[in-house]
Amino acid sequence: MGPLAINDIISQNTNFLLAFVIGIGFGFVLEQSGFSSSRKLAGLFYGYDMVVLKVFFTGGVTAMLGLLFFSLFGWVDLNLVYVNPTFLTSAIVGGLIMGVGFIMGGFCPGTSFCGAAIGKIDAMVFIAGLFIGVYFFAFGYPMFETLYKSAAMGSPKISSMLGLADGVFALILVIVALGMFYVSEWVEKKFPREEY
Amino acid sequence: MKPLHYLTLVLLILALIIALVPRNTIRPYKLTAAQLLAEIRTGTQFISPDEVADKIIQKDPSIQLIDVRNPREFDQFSLPGAINIPLQDILSDGNYDLLNQGTKMNIFYSNGSTEANEAWLLTRQLGYQNNYVLQGGLNYWMETILNPSKPGNIASNDELAKYDFRKSASMALGGGGASAMAPAAVSPATMTPKPGVIPVKKKKKASGGC
Repeated sequence: MGPLAINDIISQNTNFLLAFVIGIGFGFVLEQSGFSSSRKLAGLFYGYDMVVLKVFFTGGVTAMLGLLFFSLFGWVDLNLVYVNPTFLTSAIVGGLIMGVGFIMGGFCPGTSFCGAAIGKIDAMVFIAGLFIGVYFFAFGYPMFETLYKSAAMGSPKISSMLGLADGVFALILVIVALGMFYVSEWVEKKFPREEY
Repeated sequence: MKPLHYLTLVLLILALIIALVPRNTIRPYKLTAAQLLAEIRTGTQFISPDEVADKIIQKDPSIQLIDVRNPREFDQFSLPGAINIPLQDILSDGNYDLLNQGTKMNIFYSNGSTEANEAWLLTRQLGYQNNYVLQGGLNYWMETILNPSKPGNIASNDELAKYDFRKSASMALGGGGASAMAPAAVSPATMTPKPGVIPVKKKKKASGGC
């Protein structure tokens, strides 16, 4: 039956309304978990706070397992679920720029808006920087186009590239994620920071 | 137990289950309702009687006429070279290779176009290709091909040419007397082709970040 919007079970406008509600929920949870503090993201880099990694990997594996179970029950057709196409070069370059920006600014785009919403000035400055970056990219697009579009891979799945069943790959990813959680607990003890 | 241990337990159990069960490959409908609606509205499944008559007379090997009425009606009258697959048997296993293939053009027909359309709708929704419907069914076939009516004096050249073709097709296909054998008329065509509607391309989805 799913995806709901594509199969016309809900209209495009209802879809946007749901996105709005989910977005507010997402922002609320981010704020309540303390992500509106720039120290959370910086902590990931310095090793004293690995919450970001744990949260996003928990979110990822939960969604993965959820979709696989939904597909198993016939509730959602995974072939119709939109997957962002992969452009490998721009993913790597963009990932590096984003990563450096996260450490320097202490926010990711989502948390910066959370921070701004509760009146943090550093978050507002970060958003200003974000917009400068967006305009720079948009107006300079002809400069970046070749790089941006190189190594187009369509919408590949790691599981099919490795020749594994989706479920088996999911199990491996869950084990890897859990391993990372235990390592990050250890890292947090190793590089404690009391004063924040 | 720490929260992390709970999480470990739950995630591992779920992941084990999903790794062990086979993937759900049951996907009965290949086309979404919206895609099908777009096809119905463009009426691409219809083939005009003239086109079909032309193909029959030329003994075009690429067409396969499929009569979806019941065997009794099929025995009374059928188009040359047609085979009989009653509508209720359309999904039986034996017909799969015939209905889902890439070489021949299957043309469903019934008395009106309702039953043939139903056959097309079922097969199309399953993603089968190359299935078509004789526009107007046999009733319209009788009217246009076997007993063509002469156009009026002010008819255009096109219409006259069409009439000439129909007249000769009628002779080739044993028309005139054929009306006596004509099957009892059923409800007239309920679906007529409408002007083309091009399916709207899907909007690009908003992509999320963190």
